[in-house]
Amino acid sequence: MAAGGSPILELDRVVKRFGGVAAVNAVSLALTPGRIYGLIGPNGSGKTTLFNCITGVERCDDGEIRLKGRRIEGLKPHQIFHLGVGRTFQVIRVFPELTALENLLVVTTGDYEAARRRAQELLALVRLERLAGEFAGNLSYGQQKLVEFVRVLMTDPELILLDEPAAGVNRTLLNELLDAVRRLRDQGKTVLLVEHDMKVVMGLCETVFVLDHGEKLAEGAPGVIQADERVVEAYFGR
Amino acid sequence: MKRWVPLALGLLALALALYPLRATGYGVRVMLQLFMWIALAQSWNLISGLTGYVSFGHVAFFGTGAYASSLLIVKTGWPWPLAALAGGVAAAVVSFIMGWPCLRLRGPYFAIAMLGLNEVLRVLTSYYEGLTGGGNGLSLPTLYASVEIYYAMGLVAAAVTAVTYLIVTSRFGLRLMTIREDEVAAEAMGIDTFRYKLYAFVLSSVGAGIVGGLSARDQGYIEPISVFPLIMTITMIVMALFGGKGTIWGPVLGATVLFAFQEAVWARFVYLHQLLFGAIIVAVVLLMPRGILGVLQQKYNLPRTI
Repeated sequence: MAAGGSPILELDRVVKRFGGVAAVNAVSLALTPGRIYGLIGPNGSGKTTLFNCITGVERCDDGEIRLKGRRIEGLKPHQIFHLGVGRTFQVIRVFPELTALENLLVVTTGDYEAARRRAQELLALVRLERLAGEFAGNLSYGQQKLVEFVRVLMTDPELILLDEPAAGVNRTLLNELLDAVRRLRDQGKTVLLVEHDMKVVMGLCETVFVLDHGEKLAEGAPGVIQADERVVEAYFGR
Repeated sequence: MKRWVPLALGLLALALALYPLRATGYGVRVMLQLFMWIALAQSWNLISGLTGYVSFGHVAFFGTGAYASSLLIVKTGWPWPLAALAGGVAAAVVSFIMGWPCLRLRGPYFAIAMLGLNEVLRVLTSYYEGLTGGGNGLSLPTLYASVEIYYAMGLVAAAVTAVTYLIVTSRFGLRLMTIREDEVAAEAMGIDTFRYKLYAFVLSSVGAGIVGGLSARDQGYIEPISVFPLIMTITMIVMALFGGKGTIWGPVLGATVLFAFQEAVWARFVYLHQLLFGAIIVAVVLLMPRGILGVLQQKYNLPRTI
């Protein structure tokens, strides 16, 4: 684990353009290990694009992305994954014709039996152990969301990016999911999550970044962000 | 696996091994062709059924194997079993060279690139008359070896099916399937999709190449249009789809049913059989896109070992 002071992830003036539109425009931020960060902003503000740049799904046009001091822009998604970055997607991306268990097994390397035990533990964590043998595509929306969440945990990544983890998950399970995220933080993991549910963001995150039109509008503790006029304006208009 | 399955497979293998002792020459030739179709449908299944990358020119590897092994037999006098294996190697080389650029393309573009490969190979073999005999074809020395080729073909069909079994029941196979399911997610989950596609593609070409070599020896004569016909690709695709793509026994079932059907109808209704074949394609795509075993698997939650 990186020492408390040095950031695990640093973005330095990252730019991503689609045609003439700068979806992400010179965004800089730094994540310290062992903390939970929120990324909020109106629809189309560039949150998911930023996730895609970090995980290599999109190649950023300018700027630097450093993971534990090592530049990762230009690496392929699977390479970045193996450097310890796991993510979930805004639109569910489980493998529908693989079972819930297989969805978890497939991302692992090394001992298959150990992986199987861990997969079963993680499915039990989100109360899906009975559905381990079911095709993931047959599960409910919320259950698929949970499969996607625990799939990320299979390889024990140091940095976890969650794209709207709360959407479509019922209250009881949501609380457990949030507890799981806190436990991850306590284990020293770093979490960055995109979320529209402000209650979740305010209750969970220690630092919140606000994006608007691809630019970082504000950064700070949840309370400070909520009181920030520019943020309110970005969401509700003047 | 249930205990009776290896037993049943053993008995089936024994029956097929003894079959040439009692069968007519025609019977042996028919079964030999059935083995060929099983091996081809199963080979196609390895790349297309598992990764979802539809190879629309898989017969290119059959043709490559046929030409490579025939040339070795004719020009250097290699024994045919060795030449057929070399045909498999030649197909692997072509698939590697082809897969390196083309597997970076997404689905439909890959299908079209494969269609193009087949056409290019057909034209090349026609053009380089000095080596291949061009449109006049290539005649192999006379040899009566139907029974030996029957066994060889049967072994290849069994081997490709065994390889499919090993792959589908392994983590490697699951990774191939994630490419079919959601390639972006597969990449994000640490799977080097390009490398896995390339492995599957090269593997899928070997069986087709060997079968091409054996088939050429069996026919005794090859020409560009006889070993690179689009209809063969379509037939192996339909067989795999009909039985259940992405399953272990689907291509075997599909090849057996459709080949038996073809043989039964072919003799009596030369034109009608193509019409019926077309109708089957339409029916399969519309009514059960997963194929027979795919439907059963989904409905009864059967294990992957079918």
